[in-house]
Amino acid sequence: MAAFMEEAFVEARRARDAGEVPVGCVFVLGDKVIARGGNQVNVTRNATRHAEFICIDTTLAYCREKRLPARQLFSEISVVVTVEPCIMCSAALHTLGVKEIIYGCENDRFGGKTLVDVAAVVGTRIDIIGGVRAEEAMDLLKEFYKGENPAAPPVAKKKK
Amino acid sequence: MARAGIDQQTDMEISAPPAKRCKFMATEVDDNLEIKAVLTTEYKKDITLIKVHSCQLETKQQLQSVVQELSQKLPHFHHLKRVSDRNVLICPTAEVEHTLEQHLQGHAFSDSVVKALCRDVKVIEVPADRAKLRMQYEKMKKYWPCKFHPDKYAESLQNGSNFTSKQRIFHKQMAQLLRSLTKNVNAGQPVGICVDPRQPSIVAIAGSNDTCSSSHRHCSMLLVDYVARSQQGGATQHQVDFVQDDDASKTTLRGIPKAFHDYIRQDEAYKDVQCGAQMSVEYEQQQVEATADNLAKYGPYLCTGYDVYLLREPCLMCAMALVHSRVKRIFFLLPSDNGALATRFQLHDVKELNHHYEVFQFITDGT
Repeated sequence: MAAFMEEAFVEARRARDAGEVPVGCVFVLGDKVIARGGNQVNVTRNATRHAEFICIDTTLAYCREKRLPARQLFSEISVVVTVEPCIMCSAALHTLGVKEIIYGCENDRFGGKTLVDVAAVVGTRIDIIGGVRAEEAMDLLKEFYKGENPAAPPVAKKKK
Repeated sequence: MARAGIDQQTDMEISAPPAKRCKFMATEVDDNLEIKAVLTTEYKKDITLIKVHSCQLETKQQLQSVVQELSQKLPHFHHLKRVSDRNVLICPTAEVEHTLEQHLQGHAFSDSVVKALCRDVKVIEVPADRAKLRMQYEKMKKYWPCKFHPDKYAESLQNGSNFTSKQRIFHKQMAQLLRSLTKNVNAGQPVGICVDPRQPSIVAIAGSNDTCSSSHRHCSMLLVDYVARSQQGGATQHQVDFVQDDDASKTTLRGIPKAFHDYIRQDEAYKDVQCGAQMSVEYEQQQVEATADNLAKYGPYLCTGYDVYLLREPCLMCAMALVHSRVKRIFFLLPSDNGALATRFQLHDVKELNHHYEVFQFITDGT
């Protein structure tokens, strides 16, 4: 399954080239990628358009098109993503009941596993494997954050 | 219902200057609705105690040298007074591995101070954390003299005096609008409203929708995307008719579905409610003073500076979506079984996050 991480990296680099935070994701069903995407936060001005959500929307469209029951389909999906899903994405993936999550580097700012025990709050457990090509994923992020996020206003100075 | 009653009651509560005759008074407002801040754990009633070693010095003359060495070598208890009469706090019991004497020697205390501190040693309980509220302080000082710096704003959140009566009336009006739109326009499905509190003016309204069976399209998720629409963004194709802007308009209604807007404009109860969002800065460059906040300085960015009113307490996904969107305050009416702000979890209490909103719940009498 980790072989699909390369596909996720393709999406992460594509996001980076479009001026987005470089995170990429693919949804794998059996041995087939059925959804793929990178972050689209800046272009949409919507802070929730993370790579995982792009894939969730594609998958739902796929279900409608093929007239498949979404709940069952999600239970067979492996989520492969370059960075640990944030609390929001992790909560969504737990609620949808995906089969497993495989991620690259940890997300110590928003991580759905590192910061909050999402599984406990949502009330479902799914298999989560982290650390697949973590260094590469982290390097992409570090490279990005060296530059400034063009869409964000300057950070307010802390008042003392 | 007695409208004068509302005015009197709120004015008494907040002991603020008498409210000006407010234009929202023409509106029927639910008299039994209170707005309660959902405070994080550090503002809770219960205080935590820790066990510590304390001793009684033989004479007050020893105090100076003892306190000086303690503050250098065992710098604990910044939230407490180190000394009470001749009694001195030494350190938490959990820190001492063997005997207290060995512990002090290990920290290079002088022999005379070790001797002074090892006299009449007791284990006592003292407050573990700093008092944030006067109520906590009153409890804590019974255990040991505490330091306390009153925080007026935190106190006002705790006792409900943070809103002026005019603001309170507006919040209640939004609560009522949530109920009306849910019931009369959105077939009972929950609704969310995003407001720019500066005017105040409605930026976007979203209702979750039964026909989009996608379980993740909760109204908070739709709402932040409708706010994005008001900033010439937006991600999803929505099966919804939105209000079209006039060319002459200085604000935009692009974030408000037509059905909701029509309802508000037709209902007498909401005739004073303003709708429309400030345009993104590409469309309007504003001159503002340097002390202004980010919303005033740079124009709309995500939901920075905006308030969100929700019929239901948001789930963890939605609560985090609102953190990502940098919402200023969240007001909700009904608790949810999977709610992540009060019921199952308190996301705004996670210190490590890069943004924190304030959370308020509308409480109806008897619930």
